[in-house]
Amino acid sequence: MKSISLPEYVESISVRDFYNSFAERLLLRLVTSRKTLSRSTIRERSLNRPALAVTGYFKYFANKRIQLFGAGEMGFLREQKKEHRIQVLEKMATKRIPCVVISRNLAPTPEMIEVFERFGVPVFRTSLASKAFTTEVTVLLEERFAPRTTVHGTLLDIRGIGTLVRGESGAGKSEAALALLERGHSLVADDMVRVKLLSDHTPVGFGDEMSRGFMECRGIGIINVEELFGIRFVRIEKKIELVVTFTEDLEDDQIDRTGLDRKNFDILGADVPHMEIPLRTGRDMARLVEVAAMVQAARQLGHDSADDFNQKLIQKMKQEN
Amino acid sequence: MSNQPLENAHTFTLEVSNKMGVHARPAAMIVRIASHFSGEIWVTKKDGERVNAKSIMGIMMLAAARGSELTFECTPEDAPELEKQMSDLFASKFQDE
Repeated sequence: MKSISLPEYVESISVRDFYNSFAERLLLRLVTSRKTLSRSTIRERSLNRPALAVTGYFKYFANKRIQLFGAGEMGFLREQKKEHRIQVLEKMATKRIPCVVISRNLAPTPEMIEVFERFGVPVFRTSLASKAFTTEVTVLLEERFAPRTTVHGTLLDIRGIGTLVRGESGAGKSEAALALLERGHSLVADDMVRVKLLSDHTPVGFGDEMSRGFMECRGIGIINVEELFGIRFVRIEKKIELVVTFTEDLEDDQIDRTGLDRKNFDILGADVPHMEIPLRTGRDMARLVEVAAMVQAARQLGHDSADDFNQKLIQKMKQEN
Repeated sequence: MSNQPLENAHTFTLEVSNKMGVHARPAAMIVRIASHFSGEIWVTKKDGERVNAKSIMGIMMLAAARGSELTFECTPEDAPELEKQMSDLFASKFQDE
């Protein structure tokens, strides 16, 4: 079953895109001309404070990152002779830095504008303090640089457990999803689940904006979940905490009878708990998925039914012996 | 958990010899083997209950600790192969130690 597409990695984002997307949230104002936005790219999802660089030390200079000038960097620069300022700024510009951001709305020195304009490096001012800017931009870049993929399946939020239901076409994923909606759970995405990996270990699933809230159900056609059930039944995105696969060709041997053995499903390198449920005529798959999610919820809280039962049994056998 | 005896049942008895007894994992192994056979298979613990060998909850309810003797009942057709596989499993101490 090929249900997960090749991961896409974001190598860089253009400064123009960065500015257009986040200018409002980061309170950015472009100081250099718009022309400077044309070529620069951010190649690393982190910030650099160029404190050492402004002193002239460029070994290990993190030139792929946004350069954040705070009170320290600006104060130091101002105290230098004009020639020194021009020299370090030119050196920095030749390292192909993506852009410069000055925090606290501090005014750039005339040389900064002149040099960076000449080298085509955009300079921004923000009224945010360095700390606030760092926090905000880290989250935004993390999101933008997150590896992505698409999984075939249906993603639901079952009482807080993001549950991805997988199975062959026609296995009854959408029907199960519909039954789960009827029971008060909500839909995140149907059929094509887009996934991004946040902080290198958290897979978050979402649907395309176009198809959000819609799903296809064989025999009925396309239905609008938001309209039929209400806004509470649609979620924009959800962390994937459990994968449930409906399988037709599972041998009796492979069915987990105790629940003591844990299986994982790999999504973008993250291990997500995985349960395989054999498809049989007449089984209420929706109910089984719901129970699977509750079992997972209990496990996350440190309760394990299978292990509890086993411990009880072992205890009993000890006493009788 | 039926008292209906099997017709022409073939029986054999095995002793539980692993330290922990028949807990969840060994029980799953017994059920896994039993499920490969089409005929009915029953297990009785000495002075205890009679349960279906294909039911994991049933096997666990026996609470068969180390030293317990379990008697298997099966159809004559299943007997030779079942006895061989179960004997091997019990002899391996359920790969539990």
